[in-house]
Amino acid sequence: MMKNDSAGRFRTDIVIGSVLIVAAIIIPFVFPTRYVIGQLTIFFLWATVVSQWNLVFGVAGIFSLAQMAIFAMGGYVAGMLSLYLGWPLWISMFFGGFASVLFSVLIGFACLRLRGAYVALLTLAIAQTMYLLIITDTACFMRTGVTCRNFTGGTRGLAQFGDFGFRELLPYKYMAFGNYFIGLVVLIFAVAFSIFVIRSPIGLAFRALRDNQTCAEVRGISKFKYQLLIFSSSAFFTGLAGAVYAGHFRVMGANTLYLNLLLFLLSMLIIGGVGRVWGPILGAAALMLVDEVLKEFVNWRLAGLGLILVVFIVLLPKGLAGYIEDIFQRGRKNKATVGQDE
Amino acid sequence: MDSLTQIVASGLTVGAMYAVSTVALSLVWGALNVLNMGQGAMLAVGGYIAYTAVTAFGLPIPIAIVAAAGVGALVGAVLYFLVVKLMIGKDGFETNVIIATFGFALILENLVLRLYGAYPLRQPIGLDGGWHIGAVHVPYQNILLVLVSAVLMTVVAYALKSTRTGRAIRATAQNRGATELMGVRVSKIFLQVLMIGGGLAAISGIMLSTITTLAPTMGYDPMLKAFIICVIAGLGNIYGALIASFVLGLFEVSVQFLFGVRFGFPALLLLVISALIWKPFGVFGRRKTDRL
Repeated sequence: MMKNDSAGRFRTDIVIGSVLIVAAIIIPFVFPTRYVIGQLTIFFLWATVVSQWNLVFGVAGIFSLAQMAIFAMGGYVAGMLSLYLGWPLWISMFFGGFASVLFSVLIGFACLRLRGAYVALLTLAIAQTMYLLIITDTACFMRTGVTCRNFTGGTRGLAQFGDFGFRELLPYKYMAFGNYFIGLVVLIFAVAFSIFVIRSPIGLAFRALRDNQTCAEVRGISKFKYQLLIFSSSAFFTGLAGAVYAGHFRVMGANTLYLNLLLFLLSMLIIGGVGRVWGPILGAAALMLVDEVLKEFVNWRLAGLGLILVVFIVLLPKGLAGYIEDIFQRGRKNKATVGQDE
Repeated sequence: MDSLTQIVASGLTVGAMYAVSTVALSLVWGALNVLNMGQGAMLAVGGYIAYTAVTAFGLPIPIAIVAAAGVGALVGAVLYFLVVKLMIGKDGFETNVIIATFGFALILENLVLRLYGAYPLRQPIGLDGGWHIGAVHVPYQNILLVLVSAVLMTVVAYALKSTRTGRAIRATAQNRGATELMGVRVSKIFLQVLMIGGGLAAISGIMLSTITTLAPTMGYDPMLKAFIICVIAGLGNIYGALIASFVLGLFEVSVQFLFGVRFGFPALLLLVISALIWKPFGVFGRRKTDRL
């Protein structure tokens, strides 16, 4: 029963994924405006970050707020490797991903033995420390002519490390397509990884840990080990997204560590549906659309975001994906619903 | 010698700032398991309300402080009725309430920003003058801050220990179900604690703004520091928080003096993380064991 069910879910995932990929390939040819393609590129990056956050928070149950710090680590390391060592961004982006993995292993060792709220506090403090160290960085690292460049770029941000080279490679009309498809490819791999984790024995281990931790641990499932595994491996795609972000904007700044951006992405996760494969994508899309609307009311953007966050977490904690799933399950009445969702 | 005096004086001031922002946070967490991310915004609300009361309405300072505490309590009540009340007893309360209060903080911050603007204002409440120890000048304001923080924490800790409401709050913290069976209305306790927390946060906000400035995001940094202190003291332990505040304040100022200002916070964090690896439930905290 369990086996069939998960195989069925996996098939559904493949179908949904294929449809979305085809749509994502067609869209830039139908709406080839710079703005639409640029926004969609950013959407791919945020959806990647949120899908990996979903693994950390929704699946492994680690309430980490260091997600954007891990993202920024990837972007900064990739940018620095390109700037100081002259590596092409195509190579340094992967090292950005590896750096993020390393960073999150360190965070994991420091935080994962603690209880829920403590983890949230410490990871938030780590992100804030990273932010403070970057914006207070004024020491001279490299001199170019009369100007002095500091190691992290400080408040001005790290720049001049180049990009993915599509400006030269593609004709003017299709220039934006390059970054768009890089973003898409990263997202596809990230989602494939999250489907793999959620539907695999690792996902089952976490379900066991959540349902009855003592029982699961007695059966030999080490919570710390599994949490560290997910926390560090998901950091690769988060860091990669950071590196692509740096290449897309040609600059990496401490603004990626702003609390408001973190909360924006957290809202995507909550509104999409925590712990569900398609939640992050649904949430990222919904929040990007809401943000377009809120741009008209720029003075109340924060409050609007806050309101949405409160309404969803209080009234609809399963998120959009959870409710869509419920509707489908109600549709199939002949299939008895055995408490699948916690 | 002068630099040592300077370090001690600044360290105590910084410690008092931390202590003052930690009281409400620690109380609400300890009693309700609610980690209030709206704390920072509530500090700002308190500071601004006192500012308005003094500058716009010309009220005397004590009344302005009471007014700010009243509005703070009101904000706490709003937080209870619109957010916490609807979530009590549901799955994942502990983490979901963190997220919900994050959203609440955004709304509050935006309101303050729209009402007062982003430009920093000067808090009119405060003492002038200071005290000279050798070459070191210690403003009276800082001394007042140290006293107020110590008094606030002692009062809260005493009230929790000895009053009827305090006992009910502690009982709720220990075992919600059993407390309810003893005839205590737990929902009322939640409301009371959030209102007291809101009032305390407002007073803390006023104290903080007297030695810094008023800005809509002024509460974020103190909140983060307060979190760290709560973590190291063991969340919810008020006496522990008082000691931890002053120790960490002195530590941070010493590091800033020796290695430069920018390393103060990172060093603090490093210290806390190593302390937590040594004692995962806080230095003064006790392990909670769950029965199967």
